[in-house]
Amino acid sequence: MKRTIYFLIAATVLMLMSCKDFLEEKQRDALTEDKAFQSMNDLKNNAVLSLYNYIGGNSDSQGLQGTGRGVYDLNTMTTDEAITPTRGGDWYDGGFWQDLFLHTWGSSNTALENTWNYLFKVVMLCNSSLERIDAYPNPEHLYDETMLDNYRAEVRAVRAMFYFYLMDLFGRVPIVTTNDVNSSELTLANRSQVYQFIVKELQETRLYLPWDRSNYNGENYGRVTIPVANFLLAKLMLNAEIYSDDNWTDDIYPDGKTITFNVLGTTMNAWEACQFYCNTFKDFEYVLEESLAENFTTTNEKSRENIFTIPMDPNLYSNRFIYFFRSRNCCHGSALGGGSENGPCATIETLRAFKYGKPDQDTRFDITFYADTIYENGEVVLMDDKVTPLVYYPWEVKLNLTGSPYVELAGARFHKYAPDPNANADGRACHNDIVLFRYADVLLMMAEAKLRNGEDGTAELNLVRRRSLMTDTVATLETILNERHLELAWEGWRRNDLIRFRQFTRSYTDRPQLPGEENGYTTVFPIPSSMIDFHPSWKQNPGYE
Amino acid sequence: MKQTTMKTILLCTAFCMSMSGMAQEQNDSVLTFDQNLGQNRNFSGNAETIDESQMNNKDQVTNALDAIRGRVAGLTVERNGLNAMNAVRLRGTTSLTGGNDPLIMIDGVLGDLSLLESIFPSDIESFTILKDASETSQFGSRGASGVIIITTQRGTPGKLRVNYNSSFSISNVYKRYDMLSADGYRDYARKNGIKIVDLGHSTNFQKAIEQTGLSMQHHLAFQGGTEQSNYRVAVGYSTEKLVVKNNSDRTLQSNMNMTQMLFNGFLKVELGMFASRQDLKSLPDVQGILYSAACLNPTFPAGANPDGSYPGYASASQIGNPYAHLQKKNDDENSHISTHARLTFNITKDLKFLLFGSYTHNIAEKSQYFPTFVWNRGQAYKETNKRQMLMGDAVINWDKKFNKHLVSLLGLAEIQKKVYDGYHVTVTNFSTNETGYNDLSAGALRPWDGTGSIYEDPRMVSYMVRANYTFDDKYMFKASARADGSSKFGDNHKWGFFPSVSGTWVISKEPFMRNVKAIDELKINVGYGLSGNQDGIDSYTSIATMKPNGFVPAGAGNLVSFSQLKNANPELKWEVSSTFNMGIDAKLLHGRLFFSLNYYNTQVHDMLYPYNVSVPPFTYNILVANIGSMSNRGLEISVGAVPLATKDMQLSINANVSFQGNKLKSLSGDFQGIRLEAPDYIPVATLNGAGMHGGNNNVTYQIVGQSLGSFYLPQSTGLQVAPDGSKYYGIRNLNGGDISLEDSEDRYIAGQAMPKVLLGSNISFRYKDFDISIQANGAFGHKIYNGTSLTYMNTSSFPLYNIFTKAVEENIKDQTATDYWLEKGDYVNIDYITVGWKVPIKQNRFVESLRLSCSMNNVATFTSYSGLTPMINSSSLGKTLGLDDKRSFPLYHSYTLGISIGF
Repeated sequence: MKRTIYFLIAATVLMLMSCKDFLEEKQRDALTEDKAFQSMNDLKNNAVLSLYNYIGGNSDSQGLQGTGRGVYDLNTMTTDEAITPTRGGDWYDGGFWQDLFLHTWGSSNTALENTWNYLFKVVMLCNSSLERIDAYPNPEHLYDETMLDNYRAEVRAVRAMFYFYLMDLFGRVPIVTTNDVNSSELTLANRSQVYQFIVKELQETRLYLPWDRSNYNGENYGRVTIPVANFLLAKLMLNAEIYSDDNWTDDIYPDGKTITFNVLGTTMNAWEACQFYCNTFKDFEYVLEESLAENFTTTNEKSRENIFTIPMDPNLYSNRFIYFFRSRNCCHGSALGGGSENGPCATIETLRAFKYGKPDQDTRFDITFYADTIYENGEVVLMDDKVTPLVYYPWEVKLNLTGSPYVELAGARFHKYAPDPNANADGRACHNDIVLFRYADVLLMMAEAKLRNGEDGTAELNLVRRRSLMTDTVATLETILNERHLELAWEGWRRNDLIRFRQFTRSYTDRPQLPGEENGYTTVFPIPSSMIDFHPSWKQNPGYE
Repeated sequence: MKQTTMKTILLCTAFCMSMSGMAQEQNDSVLTFDQNLGQNRNFSGNAETIDESQMNNKDQVTNALDAIRGRVAGLTVERNGLNAMNAVRLRGTTSLTGGNDPLIMIDGVLGDLSLLESIFPSDIESFTILKDASETSQFGSRGASGVIIITTQRGTPGKLRVNYNSSFSISNVYKRYDMLSADGYRDYARKNGIKIVDLGHSTNFQKAIEQTGLSMQHHLAFQGGTEQSNYRVAVGYSTEKLVVKNNSDRTLQSNMNMTQMLFNGFLKVELGMFASRQDLKSLPDVQGILYSAACLNPTFPAGANPDGSYPGYASASQIGNPYAHLQKKNDDENSHISTHARLTFNITKDLKFLLFGSYTHNIAEKSQYFPTFVWNRGQAYKETNKRQMLMGDAVINWDKKFNKHLVSLLGLAEIQKKVYDGYHVTVTNFSTNETGYNDLSAGALRPWDGTGSIYEDPRMVSYMVRANYTFDDKYMFKASARADGSSKFGDNHKWGFFPSVSGTWVISKEPFMRNVKAIDELKINVGYGLSGNQDGIDSYTSIATMKPNGFVPAGAGNLVSFSQLKNANPELKWEVSSTFNMGIDAKLLHGRLFFSLNYYNTQVHDMLYPYNVSVPPFTYNILVANIGSMSNRGLEISVGAVPLATKDMQLSINANVSFQGNKLKSLSGDFQGIRLEAPDYIPVATLNGAGMHGGNNNVTYQIVGQSLGSFYLPQSTGLQVAPDGSKYYGIRNLNGGDISLEDSEDRYIAGQAMPKVLLGSNISFRYKDFDISIQANGAFGHKIYNGTSLTYMNTSSFPLYNIFTKAVEENIKDQTATDYWLEKGDYVNIDYITVGWKVPIKQNRFVESLRLSCSMNNVATFTSYSGLTPMINSSSLGKTLGLDDKRSFPLYHSYTLGISIGF
């Protein structure tokens, strides 16, 4: 018996001695990093294509468009284009929406911090991808090195795109091109440095990108291809006066004609360079669709006008498109088979721009907004009592509708995208690809660049107007900004446009100019206060110290 | 190697299980040793035992912890009106990431709160609560938040016995929110010229979701045996229906314990098996339905439209029709089985060797169905999670008594492996609601991100040595050293070393005390010990991995791509808490007076926490790391008195008070040269409701230098009158400049959410065969944010959301969160009054004993808090801490009748 006991003791001790392996973690429901990059296919899938899952998003502040409280809202709800009124008990949200509309955001605004974190997350993932591509052994040169070069170029271009949004929102950001950085060595680069970095990255990489359209189904669907990079470059050139300006509160801007770029060996000023990149679209057969609405249908991946989109499919992707859902009235949502939040709507300025209710109302109003009595599928939409028709009252909109008899019904609601009868999640998971860049914008950029360079952009401007059966006009700064308001309403460009036209800080209905705002400090958001806490040597943007 | 190890454990366990012989005696191996050796007094720390006789209401409650609520200083049990226990805390919150639940040991088998929930109070012989470091350190990291040891009833040598317990209880709502009635609603609209949708009905939707609560339980136990072997087998069945519809529970349980002595007492074999099955139906979104029931337009009809749809209030996006909400299904099925075996070898008179093995298997299934009229196109969700745990212990103990010296040495080796695996699937686009979640193929769409599975297998290995020395039953010393290894930490940080020491001096045994007749026993104990914590973090936090991040749209076929989804921290290590404790225990006046006083001070270092980090250089803004520190201090006083004790009458009064203080000392530091910092103000609880999304609606915060869960709010200057006659909350400008409600602007620390003082008291009186007992609990020194009143007093949410009747007069048109609705949370609650009658029965062949009892639960609450109840979550760090936000159940009384028969 004693022997048995000793044996048991010995067995126990031995068993416990061998615990080194026992305590080692081997995760079965995930890949270790080396397992994720074993083949060229893995590399393409997990180092390159994987990044495209971050263009869209499914929660607040994630995704370049489609979601709330992120890049799109910071570019849209802060302007004279869209408003999220407080409706009695709804939509006050601790003053969040009013802060955006009134430009009274502070540096601890969580949407700003989350947006910073989202954009830089993708930048850092791009850096990881580049390291993975560099580390790929390519045994015996099995693969053409150019393939690796192409991957590298594509990842750098994606990174440049995210830097574009970072620079546009925050002005000064750290330029980080590797994951191996020491936090304490990070410094904020000036806006012009970031600008030059983005231009350089895109110029260097764009010709390695796929020579293909990105918005069509197929090998390059949703990817950054040459036209996408060219669009970004055109945008960068058009805003050269803004982005080259490191001191944006002194009311002095550099002149676009004197800002020069080297484009394929030729020195051009910003406006010429913008035109150069706009002209490249002819090579890819981009045309204006017959109707504006065709770019926003459930099958808009066939649009010949769209350039860069977030592919959508309720079955496949987790990306969400909430702009419909949150804008329309709940009875309206029910009629389309889903919930709604009865929120954002068109401002008075937007109604005026579209000449809403006037005999010469812009034809694009009905495509862009819902107003008046609402019909869906040929039937009038009824309110809760099942008797009263649903009517939106566009002119009744106010920043605070509490107490107004139109608290629920004020404001023209967002339309533009065709409601998808097969959408899921209250319409948030739909088939309509979310349009980020499209050709009409290229034409308007062209018109503007010409005008700013002392040429005539009327032809391009009127191409866009004629498509919507509007009468011709003459290209001036005023008509171009107005046309952009009409054509690109609620597409996420209004803040960018207003800043370029030096109108972002002006006062308009329900939005008085802030004290001191005339110097332009609100044209750039503050560096999130948490970042300043992490990096005490960083200087806050002017006006937010 | 891993496989070999596994096999060894399995073999070991199988060996243990297959041994014939039976019955169960005590609980944990270590403790068993102490108790077997008659060393109960050698607990030089603080161990409180509550046995059957002190659980006055145990035949009245269905939940084991309810039987001891308020009986132990420093123990808080919080329930949210549902059957599930929200939080159990011993001496407060000690970790920010989790692992705050005390360790539950049921007959030596590791359990959890859900298991404890399914145990019948009638099956429990005693609870032992260990709080001091020197006692809990024996359980290693798992005991870091205290230990609750449950010993279930076992067979006793001698006569065969059968016990039957049964109770029946009924609950009735007596108070709910006072919202505008349909007439009041119309009136208010008319007087203020507000257009409403009037469907002509008059419905109280709060009443509509209520029902009479009913519960019953049956419990039958058989026991018997001899000196050599004994057994106990029990089965129980209970059902419960709460006062809000769609909350019900059905539990079936059985418990078997056997002990057998073999080879002339050389080997004692104990075997036990426990199995339970619980079916639970509950509300998927408690706040959603209670908010809807309070605020839906009362002119809407009760029930469904003729076409089966529900009249909603489509314009009010944050509420729906409560009737429709009630059609949501949220069903849980929990099955639990655990077996254990313990072999005790009495090798010599002084040397014992003990092997213990246990296996538990838990399957939790969740099934949800949201019909098409409450959820766009309907949605079904099914989830199955399995948890298995294997544990093996080997203990060797030597003890020797010579003259006045008692020495005891103990060595322990332990291995533990858990396997968690599970999957879930979401299906949507249903054409019919008939089959619900039972036919997932009736849904047309399975979104990519709606399906997933997990696998996790955390493991631990521990060694411990311990030495006890007692001199003359007067001086006791104990020292232990424990090494714990956990798989969750980084390669070079898997092991933690946790020693402890303690000493006790029984003063009453000293010669100079002999003449003090009034003192029966007086002792002082002091202890210090370290323990580790790893429960709060998930496996694989220290390693970099790639997980699926979505479909890639490009290319011919859709492929799933992988990406890094978190920051990995290879330097992750144990969170360590060191505790100093000191206590005095006294028994006076021949057992008529008991007194005990304990002080503890716990310092947590290397606190595991998801720290905010800078992006860049990190990819994600959260890194789980060990940086911060926190302290918990407290004083616990327990007093018991028996002022009256005669043959026919006895009155006993027990009370305990605990003072607790917590301070978050630091949440920042350096991590590999990188500054890690948590934000100065970390929101914990946030208001939720219409117009309260985001913005400045955070109420409870975690703030360095403050108690966990501090209210940080704008300071109100009271109600101000606006030009239109309505009122709003004035806000004091605290830091100059413009008024801003953002963090670090015009806000101040307005109080704490966790009580500073907890009170528990019990008075029982027996006269002949009758007994009566009253239990009262209280909490003081904390505040509650009355978010319900903030919301329901805001008349600007009318008519989309109904309002309080008294809101009409107040005429507030504002829902800014300020300290206006921050109220004192002090309360005293009378939990129950029980009257029992031990029916005197003459000796007969069948019935041996009979006891009848009746009780009233939730008797009364004394408080100045203006909300429905101050008994909200005031103890556990989470989204509801200190915040009363439209999710309190209506108040109800319960009346219970119980019978207990012994044969």
